[in-house]
Amino acid sequence: MNLNFSPVHFIAVPLFAAFLLPLLGRISQKLVTLVPGIVLLYLSAVALTLFPQAYNEPIVEIIAGWRPPFGITLVFGPLAAFLVTMITLIGFVVWIYSYRFIIRAPLEKYYMLFMLLIAGSTGIILTGDIFNLFVFLEITAIAAYSLTAFLRDHNGAEAAFKYLLIGSFASAFVLLAIIILYANVGTLNMADIAVRMGDVPAKIKLTIMILFIVGLGIEAELFPLNGWAPDAYSQAPSPIGAVFAGIVVKAAVYALMRVLFTLFDLPTSSHFLVVMGTITLLIAEMSAMRQQQIKRMLAFSSIGQMGLVLVAFGLGTREGIAAALFLMFSHAIIKTLLFFSAGYLVFFSGFKNISDLEGVGREKPWTGFFFSLGALAIIGLPPFSGFWGKFYLLISAANASHIFLIVLILFSAVIEAVYYLRVVGRLYFKKLHDIEIRRTPFTGLLAMGILAIVTITIGVYPDFIYELVLPAADELLDKAAYLQYAMMGQ
Amino acid sequence: MRKIITILFLAILGYYMVDLMNQIPFGEDRMNVGRHYLENTIAETGSVNTVTSIVVSYRGFDTLGEVTVLFLAATGLGAILFDKRGKKRRKQNASSLVKTTSKLLYPLIVLLGAYVFVHGHLTPGGGFQGGAIIATGVLMMYMSYRRFETNHKALTIIESMAGLTFVSIGMGGLILGQGFLANFLPLGEPNMLFSAGIIPIIYSAVGFKVGAELTGVLDTLLKTIR
Repeated sequence: MNLNFSPVHFIAVPLFAAFLLPLLGRISQKLVTLVPGIVLLYLSAVALTLFPQAYNEPIVEIIAGWRPPFGITLVFGPLAAFLVTMITLIGFVVWIYSYRFIIRAPLEKYYMLFMLLIAGSTGIILTGDIFNLFVFLEITAIAAYSLTAFLRDHNGAEAAFKYLLIGSFASAFVLLAIIILYANVGTLNMADIAVRMGDVPAKIKLTIMILFIVGLGIEAELFPLNGWAPDAYSQAPSPIGAVFAGIVVKAAVYALMRVLFTLFDLPTSSHFLVVMGTITLLIAEMSAMRQQQIKRMLAFSSIGQMGLVLVAFGLGTREGIAAALFLMFSHAIIKTLLFFSAGYLVFFSGFKNISDLEGVGREKPWTGFFFSLGALAIIGLPPFSGFWGKFYLLISAANASHIFLIVLILFSAVIEAVYYLRVVGRLYFKKLHDIEIRRTPFTGLLAMGILAIVTITIGVYPDFIYELVLPAADELLDKAAYLQYAMMGQ
Repeated sequence: MRKIITILFLAILGYYMVDLMNQIPFGEDRMNVGRHYLENTIAETGSVNTVTSIVVSYRGFDTLGEVTVLFLAATGLGAILFDKRGKKRRKQNASSLVKTTSKLLYPLIVLLGAYVFVHGHLTPGGGFQGGAIIATGVLMMYMSYRRFETNHKALTIIESMAGLTFVSIGMGGLILGQGFLANFLPLGEPNMLFSAGIIPIIYSAVGFKVGAELTGVLDTLLKTIR
């Protein structure tokens, strides 16, 4: 008997829950809302238990008893441990928020899709097999399309359809890349592919890389492939907007980085990443400034932050990648907080426009406070985690002597300050429109409170997270070691 | 102007893809993993159908994912069309010739579907194909009899139970210490119906699941058509 925790629980348990929910829905709707929370709590416990082990020595789990490269493996190294723990914890907070926010039927379908979204995102990060990665990418994407249209209004359907069309392109490109890759190397295990990559002609290699960048870039919100994102973020229910920003896009960025760093040699792609990240950042921040709707503004800000993360990955140094991971973590916390509070602000005023939120902050002190706190944190003011993310990035850019990057990062922070403070100002210093004010449920405030405390705590003790991201950065850079343990020494 | 640019762009892309495909050495032996499967399937998995052994055993985890993708598609459809459900269909039957033939064929089609997924480890086909065949039979009945109804609740229960069976078998392997989805049952004698350990059980579950899911999708869509 073996009842120990293992990485496959992250995928098997939410799948089991998703299949179970329709049956539970026949018994009681209460169970339908409670079970996902229990599952996410369990997964958080698994993540926190396996965390120290993964940092000590990466866990490689064999699925179905077939050793690599013949079967599928899950690789739970420091990088995967860091991201998976982040995803399960944020997933749990999103569940707390959803508990009273999502009251619209069909509840069991909402939670089924939510569970599968979590399973898919963790699967992308855990798997050591390129085709398995595609399968999980599909699961994540299809769950995301359905959740975008969950409110069943005209705009939601339009956003979901747009996302579906662009997302199908992403899947087709990734699949095409995998087909060409398999035709050349005859294996699907990522470590095994990396070993055999030397035999592939340079032209084919370049094509595969372009196909991967386009396919995964769509999901990772790379400019100009991110046209779906603002609509999907703003039309989906608020907790799902938070999941997109905090979980889905992080998994997609991981997939892109894993493919670029492990399958291809970095120097060919790093300049590319810095340039694409810069363009993504600038265009997204400019667009965010022009938005009238609060959730669209948050969506563009999210794309901008992803651009910053890509720039940091593109530096290719140990500090750069550590900064990128720190930024990902910090952004996941803060943007989730912003989506949560914006969700209730929109709910209170009944309108999505920023101009309709005037004065709501004075009437709803807690929700307004959490939004303002998130806004200050994402701009990068101390003592919040956002400050340290940008600080580490500035230091690594200075060490790599990219002076223009320092200017760029500071410039983008100024733009962010302009459009975020504009909203905060309207929340407090304008007269309230004549709107009916409803109560914020306790669970909503609890979810926001947890995230606010986390961002302040990490802002005060940034070393705690920074020491965790350094080994994760090493994992991504030390290709030889990854090949060694992912192939289990074969 | 925009169209011309698009066509030009696609033509360039197409040219490069064709050029690239020509460079891939098809026919040469590059099957590093594939060769292993071909040579060792029967000994390692007990399944005489190599495709099945790859789909359900070597890459069973992917299949669990694919089953989930189908499940997601059906769930998503149900969630999006939730308000629009429950419309009555027009009650106009097909000709009596079509009706009689359908009535005769329906049980046979369902039987063929069941045969295909139960024998997935022996003959070509398997859970996905068998399930699709069953759903075809139901579609035929829908088209010939306007009053034909399926029990949507029963479909949901079958779908869930089949999915739970798949994951539970996987967890069984994990609890027995052989790894998730590992074949923990005796492999038996190749070519027999009761052989290949968990493969026929998983494929039967997949067959039930795919059959119930596709029927459910048909049911949802038929009831939303105006």
